[in-house]
Amino acid sequence: MSLLRQAERCVANQVAWKHLNAFISVAAADDVLRQAREADETSSSGRGGAPSSSPLHGRLIALKDNICTTDLPTTCGSAILARYTSPFDATVTTRLRAAGAIVAGKTNMDEFGMGSHSRYSHFGGVAQPASSHSSATSTTAPAHQLPPNPTDAALLSAGGSSGGSALAVSTLQAHAALGTDTGGSVRLPASYVGVLGFKPSYGRVSRWGVVAYANSLDTVGVLAPGARVARDVFAALDAWDPRDPTSLSARTRVRLSAMDATREPRVRRGLRIGVPREYNIAELSPAVRRAWARALERLSAAGHAVRPVSLPTTRLALSAYYVLAPAEASSNLAKYDGVRYGSRAAGPDSGSVARTAGGENADAVGDDGDGDILFARTRAAFFGPEVKRRLVLGAYTLSASAMDNYFVQAQRVRRLVAADFDAVFAVANPLTTAARPPVRSGGAPAADDDAKVDVLVCPTAPTPAPRLADVERLRPVDAYTNDVFTVPASLAGLPAASVPVEGEGEGEDSEGKIGMQVIGQFGDDGLVLDVAEVMEGLR
Amino acid sequence: MLSASSAVRALRASSAPASLRPLVCAQCLGLVRAALEPRPPVASRSRRQLAFCARAGSQAAPGGSAAGAAAGAGVPFRKRRKDEARARKAAAKAGGEGRGRAERAEAGGSGGWELTVGIEIHAELNAARKLFSEAAGSNYNVRCGSGAGGLDAPNTRVAEFDLALPGAQPTFQKGALVPAIRAALALGCEVQRRSGWDRKHYFYQDQPNGYQITQYYEPFAKNGHITLYPHDGLPASDGASLTVGIKQVQLEQDTAKTLLRPGVAGGDGGQPGTMTTTTTTTTTTTTTTAHLLDFNRVSHPLVEIITLPQLHSPRAAAACVRKIQGLLAGVDALAAGMELGGLRADVNVSVRRRRNGRDAEADEGAAGAAQSYGGVAGLGTRTEIKNLSSFKAVEDAVALERDRQVAVLEAGGRVESETRGYALGARETRKLRGKEGEVDYRYMPDPDLGPLLIGRELVERLGEGLPLLPDQVVARLVEGGVSVKDAVTLAGLEGGDRVEFYWEVVEGLEETLSGEERERVKPRRLAANWVLHELGGHLAAAPFPSPLSPYPISPSALSSLLVLLARRVITGPTAKHILASLVAGDARDPTCIVEEEGLALKPMSDEDYAALASEMVRENEGMVEQVRKEKEKGRGGERGKVGWFVGQMVRRGEEGMVEPGRAEAAVRKVLGLDG
Repeated sequence: MSLLRQAERCVANQVAWKHLNAFISVAAADDVLRQAREADETSSSGRGGAPSSSPLHGRLIALKDNICTTDLPTTCGSAILARYTSPFDATVTTRLRAAGAIVAGKTNMDEFGMGSHSRYSHFGGVAQPASSHSSATSTTAPAHQLPPNPTDAALLSAGGSSGGSALAVSTLQAHAALGTDTGGSVRLPASYVGVLGFKPSYGRVSRWGVVAYANSLDTVGVLAPGARVARDVFAALDAWDPRDPTSLSARTRVRLSAMDATREPRVRRGLRIGVPREYNIAELSPAVRRAWARALERLSAAGHAVRPVSLPTTRLALSAYYVLAPAEASSNLAKYDGVRYGSRAAGPDSGSVARTAGGENADAVGDDGDGDILFARTRAAFFGPEVKRRLVLGAYTLSASAMDNYFVQAQRVRRLVAADFDAVFAVANPLTTAARPPVRSGGAPAADDDAKVDVLVCPTAPTPAPRLADVERLRPVDAYTNDVFTVPASLAGLPAASVPVEGEGEGEDSEGKIGMQVIGQFGDDGLVLDVAEVMEGLR
Repeated sequence: MLSASSAVRALRASSAPASLRPLVCAQCLGLVRAALEPRPPVASRSRRQLAFCARAGSQAAPGGSAAGAAAGAGVPFRKRRKDEARARKAAAKAGGEGRGRAERAEAGGSGGWELTVGIEIHAELNAARKLFSEAAGSNYNVRCGSGAGGLDAPNTRVAEFDLALPGAQPTFQKGALVPAIRAALALGCEVQRRSGWDRKHYFYQDQPNGYQITQYYEPFAKNGHITLYPHDGLPASDGASLTVGIKQVQLEQDTAKTLLRPGVAGGDGGQPGTMTTTTTTTTTTTTTTAHLLDFNRVSHPLVEIITLPQLHSPRAAAACVRKIQGLLAGVDALAAGMELGGLRADVNVSVRRRRNGRDAEADEGAAGAAQSYGGVAGLGTRTEIKNLSSFKAVEDAVALERDRQVAVLEAGGRVESETRGYALGARETRKLRGKEGEVDYRYMPDPDLGPLLIGRELVERLGEGLPLLPDQVVARLVEGGVSVKDAVTLAGLEGGDRVEFYWEVVEGLEETLSGEERERVKPRRLAANWVLHELGGHLAAAPFPSPLSPYPISPSALSSLLVLLARRVITGPTAKHILASLVAGDARDPTCIVEEEGLALKPMSDEDYAALASEMVRENEGMVEQVRKEKEKGRGGERGKVGWFVGQMVRRGEEGMVEPGRAEAAVRKVLGLDG
């Protein structure tokens, strides 16, 4: 099929599935089709050079709306940036364009990435029809044409916060999409809608131009129909960027490629697959537990060694995450004051009358005694409820009296979580010096070499995609438990992919797609995608 | 690299039709310029508004003085200003007297109070770029600028991160380390191998990220000290010298500049050029004030220098700030001095009662539990006075705050821990916020920035290349025979340029003169006198504007002139005339001038000496009589009298022309002492 034909099909699906709200803004159709036509021409004439040989050449890629683009607004799903267009492209945008990709549009998301169902968006929530898995492969227009009604029993959560990106891929509105994953925001929606979601190791893909939620956790990830396309997209993005101070340096990357070189023999020899005991929680839905068991059986049948491992700090990871991420968020989102850009409440938004042209350390707080706080009106008017909840939480955990009990403790837990993973992986973490013995949290003995594993396989989420009607009834904090399996890899900065596997049953009784998560050692991104591809083939 | 023009493009792009309103648009820039040009450069109110305040009898009148409040409606502005100035003068005088009393209290004696001061100084580093972007930093090259930020068009030195655009990240600019490490070394600090970056959170429109990146938990330099001497302005009551510990030096970002533009009507925030608006309520009406923001200065690298609370007088506090400024300028670390806003100081002030003359203790009963800051225990409750922008302001604010605290304590009250402000000329410090209003900065390690690692080698290299510190310069001058007073002056002139000039003159002199001549004329003292006073006189009369050098003549011209003087080819007055003509633009070498103009002095003949000696003898018959008597005693007592005659001859003859040896021979001959 020509690139133009594929682009036309995506554009048609964007129109057909518009009511599901996958996109906040889409690129102009004639512009997209013109680029696709040009791509076809350069491919056939052979004069295109590098871009035409790129697997992304002429392909439509959707970008989550917290990734900066100069040609479309970047709203982060928030009213405060509702009409903001960035003056610069994110590095990932630039790299995709350089690889010949066409930006399809900007996908819907939970405001600033804070949410698990892509419902907390200023531009309306995302939804997936219960039948979208089967419809996705169809090229005909779907039956649902009305805006999603949350009480509609046929509507499911698309997951969050990159729900728009996941849905855009599952409904063939784009070839692939970029999302961001802070505590599971790529893997969770991938699991719910049944596509491949890949979160690379922290620092491999540049964050320059990616609007920060929690910098130390934020990772640009890929949503794709399968591991092969995910690998193509990742390959185009995986490079050092001097503009991102957390981007892995060229020197570290040399070490990673040495590690990557051992990957093929490792797969050929038969993989050692770890099953973390602590992930078999009581809240795990039976459908997910069955799918997990089946996946492990198939891997074992294919000649891979499956063995139980222990990650004792897992139960602390979720609480640590919900201390650290809001703390960083409260700091990162302090910039939205309506002064330089973005939305601003009408009227004066200042707390003080007596403030003179103060300089350095001039009295910073804007309390004039009338309870009127500087910028409070703008921030109150344009941040949504979940963002406010996390900002207040973060401001509290960073406050002088709470810092030691929350933020500092959570950082300690984070190190223990990372040490847990290092203790079970056969390959040493290339970021830590080899000789250092792993720090253990409890009395569990360090696994000897035979007990060590190449990757871990566990569920992405405790349940399949919930019904929207149920989601709306949840208390906000209940939604946080969706991240229980994805947060540990985020805290440790490890590569992880969610691979769709079939649930049981057929037709009306189908359990739909369920996401299985593959987690690898830091820098073992290639192996994680290899294992994902192996699992895709085990039907 | 991001140039200023692309930053402006970036700004324009960000204010494209999609955003709610253009916040940093060309129109705003125009308004900022308009605000700068015809008006006095903000900071205070415009004249029109002053007149308005006067009519309204508002308490917001400048200075808030009693005279200001008393001035009724209809008093002409000019007269009102005069009255105010007079009132301020009177107040200053009263304050001065008060200070005298307190100064006495300070001098000791039971019942007196001891003052303790610690200082935090923010100094803009002499760095080419901002701390976390490649945008150019503050520009002080144009010395007539309106303060920090220089004269560039507003908002032209800005990169994405400086404006906190969504998705922008910091990139640490290593260049900032050079002046920072120099500053730390000049302050005797240990530069840390590893330090970190922390975010200090507070909301203010001059702080685009909502936090300042600083080094709260791990500063890059610690444990330094400076020593203050009387020549630094240390008062005698503080002893012959005072060593003040430097607790730490940290790198951090500067803020943007807020310009108040009064009288903007409306306040819907949608006005072009209105970035943030505040409503100012006066007694009669409501006006809205626009804050215009210039981000040129934002994120320029600063060092914050924190001293230990080891200062005990207002003058020592001012001397400390002056000394630190001199040290930073001396090692080329400082972008601009206090007068240009390149350096600002916050002071922490507390008092405690002296006991038994020596040991001071916090006044437990009145002041509550004794406090401890920076490892110094037993202090009274302190207050912080923020943002002092001159040495005088430091001295006055400390004195006024000490007096206020003493008055509070003596009246049985207690000093509250609070933040206060002080405006130059005010009669007291003003409370800004109390403890309950204290900001919780919610310090958090910056998750984007890794640790700052500084190699030993870099520190050593910078240490080796460090110019002499001002104290070392003074010591070297004094060694060469220059008075301490002249040495301090010389070292401080033209930011160290004058002393450079001086050394070049000395070098020329010492190379040319023989050992004997050097012994006789003391070239270093001679050169100091001419470089400081003679050349200085010409500079004072007419500043010499040149892009290359601040001096109208070259050091080599001056040294060859002084060689002629030292060798007595010309007299002192002749040398001064030649200097004047050199300054006026005579391009000839001094030797040429002397030859061509026939200015050389002919040496005195034996006859000239004899005539001069006879003249002296004739005029001083009493002395001749005494010489005769001493001679008769035969104990050699006449020698001293002969010396007196030689002295008279040296004084009477042309300057520098009478050689003492030949003069003595001539006198002895006339007096008949030979043989």
